[in-house]
Amino acid sequence: MAVSDVGLMTAEHKPVVIADHVELGYGGEVVLGGLEFAVPTGSRVGILGPNGGGKTTLFRALLGEITPLSGGLEVNATSATVAQTDRSRLDYPVSALDVATMGSLARLPWWKRPGKTERSRALEALAEVDLADLARTRFGDLSGGQRQRVLIARTLTADADLLLLDEPFTGLDSKNEERLERLIDRLASSGHTVMIATHEVEQAERWDLVLCLNRTQVSFGDPAVAISKPVLEATYGGHIVEIPGQPNLGVLPAHHHHHHHESGKQS
Amino acid sequence: MLEPFSLPFFREGLMEILLLSVAAGLIGSWVILRGLAFYSHAIGTASFPGLVLADGVGFPAAVGAFGMAGVFTLFSGALARSKRTTSDSVTGLILVGSMAGGVILASDVFNSGANVDTLLFGSLLAIDSGDLLLAAAAAAVSILSLLLFSHHWLARGFDEASAPSVGSGSGAYDLALMAIVAFTVIAGLSAVGALLVAALMVVPAATVRMVTSRVTTLQAGSVILVAIEGTLGLWLSFKTDAPPGATIAMVSGVVFAIVAIGRQLRLRRIVAAAATLVVLGGIAAGCGDSGDDSGSDGLRVTATTTQVADFVSEVGGDRIDLTRILQPNTDPHDYEPRPSDVEAVVDASILFRSGGTLDEWGESLLADSGSSADLLDLSYGVPVVLGDGEDADPHWWHDPLNVAVAVQEVDAALASAAPDDAAYFKRNADAYLARIAKLNRQIETCVKKVPEGQRRIVTDHDAFGYFTNRYGIETVGTVIPALTTQAQPSAGDLADLEQTIRDEGVKAIFPESSVSPDLAEALARDTGVSTGYTLYGDTLGPEGSDGETWIGMMESNTDSVVLGMTGGSQRCGPDDG
Repeated sequence: MAVSDVGLMTAEHKPVVIADHVELGYGGEVVLGGLEFAVPTGSRVGILGPNGGGKTTLFRALLGEITPLSGGLEVNATSATVAQTDRSRLDYPVSALDVATMGSLARLPWWKRPGKTERSRALEALAEVDLADLARTRFGDLSGGQRQRVLIARTLTADADLLLLDEPFTGLDSKNEERLERLIDRLASSGHTVMIATHEVEQAERWDLVLCLNRTQVSFGDPAVAISKPVLEATYGGHIVEIPGQPNLGVLPAHHHHHHHESGKQS
Repeated sequence: MLEPFSLPFFREGLMEILLLSVAAGLIGSWVILRGLAFYSHAIGTASFPGLVLADGVGFPAAVGAFGMAGVFTLFSGALARSKRTTSDSVTGLILVGSMAGGVILASDVFNSGANVDTLLFGSLLAIDSGDLLLAAAAAAVSILSLLLFSHHWLARGFDEASAPSVGSGSGAYDLALMAIVAFTVIAGLSAVGALLVAALMVVPAATVRMVTSRVTTLQAGSVILVAIEGTLGLWLSFKTDAPPGATIAMVSGVVFAIVAIGRQLRLRRIVAAAATLVVLGGIAAGCGDSGDDSGSDGLRVTATTTQVADFVSEVGGDRIDLTRILQPNTDPHDYEPRPSDVEAVVDASILFRSGGTLDEWGESLLADSGSSADLLDLSYGVPVVLGDGEDADPHWWHDPLNVAVAVQEVDAALASAAPDDAAYFKRNADAYLARIAKLNRQIETCVKKVPEGQRRIVTDHDAFGYFTNRYGIETVGTVIPALTTQAQPSAGDLADLEQTIRDEGVKAIFPESSVSPDLAEALARDTGVSTGYTLYGDTLGPEGSDGETWIGMMESNTDSVVLGMTGGSQRCGPDDG
């Protein structure tokens, strides 16, 4: 699918991300190539791909940490990442509010400390992710799902409109998973563009767009069109049905890819 | 109980520790939060080559330390950011490199004097206005840096990977933290020494860290805890007469242990009670041990080294009240003053010192204690001096002619301070001078019995130049090639020395009583010579040993040297004169 076609599809706004023949890598070596897509404002984009398939590299490029080796990558938004919470230090002496407040550093001059305004802003962000009542709780004492939402609140405090979620569903129970999905829907409907790296094909099917990566762009577009058996096989390298070590996050065999989950697309 | 507070040097020490507590507590909190404990420990030690350079080239020690710490910080920061190695192994690597550089500079480039060592071991009892200024600067810098950077330190410490997306991506923030840690460590160097300054920063903050989950509490609590532990440790050191730096570290360690154990057992109240008990117990221990020097009402004098104390005691007899600062068999190069030493100097009328690089701390002890004692440097008057100016060999007392002159100076000084006892001092001095003259004849006679070709020795370090010079003995080599015992020989030096020992037919190497004999023994194993004959070099021996007095030391040394030179076939005793 060409860039212009996607642009036509959502004609009102300029896309948030436009990748034009982009190659990404480190030290001259291409890690992820053939990127050719456009993401409209307010869309939810699932990113499928094996570990080492290039998801992290793509995120780093969207955050501006690395520049493309070739091609044009346009990001018309403030981007912020939500890492997996086990990468944060759980013994750290910070409350949920402290973490949410950290986001304001992105908007302040480097020497300026977050003050009252920033903290009340952070409190609002926590309220947006349904955590206002736990603002004073130590970050490490929260559940995995709550920590994930605190980190999302941090990106809201940073005024980011392109949110990059790195496998946010890892380790969540079904209740928290649903809650996070609803939050993603809400963020999208309020104008945030959300790109979510995930291993679950079913989830990706419920979102607006999907990007399949395996060291190169395998496919991009409306999940109904862009996800197919050959695409998944190219993405995950053949017959993998379950991701090793993550039995709950299996890649379903191709014959399951008929829309069991229409109900997921609720906004 | 509060009497130490009336002493000026105690008040200065207290002021220093209170000023340091600001920087140590605030920056220490971040050392704990960001896992920089090992780095902060390493940076003090890594300043060693800077101190050696400063001493050798002749610029202020603080400049040398800061310069070296700066280089260390930049290297650690750059190497750690290249991500090839973890920052701990980088720190360890550079630490080893710095120490090695320092030792090579000290041993082979500058032949450093002993005062380099004293820079690594500071003392709270010898604080001058420069130290206070530096501690105040560290306090100001740490507060300022906290206002400017701590929100970024927090964000980076929480989650470095996503720090860029909240605007804390720059590694410069971490570099700033490392630089401020270095500054704080160097500021504390002269107060508590390189080894203990890290304890001041790390242990109290780690203690508070266990009981708080808020950064502001951690910072404030650490400052308060450093101040309390510092004050308590300083005060306890006065009461128990232990070195203050080590006492403070002990107090911090005990409090940490109690809190850690209590936390493990979840016994909050018991912890609080135990911590209070420690504080009260410390106070009680201090109170139980007081009022020990009622002493005689004689003239109060103090001597730095054991030899000087012996000369003063021979002349002064029971009409003086003499305090010896160095104890027998303590290497004067590794000395940290105790509170009683400072008090002894404060109360003394005269401070006798040996002079040269051996006891330079004596002079600063006098200056910092605010004492009005007269300082008599016995090395100024001695007739035989080996080497020039700053490089002069300070071991002058191994020549009896020098000692004879020193004894006359001691006599004159005591007589002018206590004219009533002048005749008594004169009698003692004359009797002692006669014994010195007899000793000199004895040694001459005995050494002459050794065939001329055999009068060759290898010693441990260059302490015996005066002895060999007086009695026509040739020193064909020394194991440690410098006047300080902190220097180390190179493999090439040792190989040359072994060759010399074989070529010259040397029969013995003489280890010195206060220096580890390992190197000499290794040489002896290779060359088959004996190391059985110990010499007294820098200090006298303990009570009851041959070397308890200076005369006994000289007799024992002569006997050992003659035995060693003749392969055990000939010896010297008091009858030889």
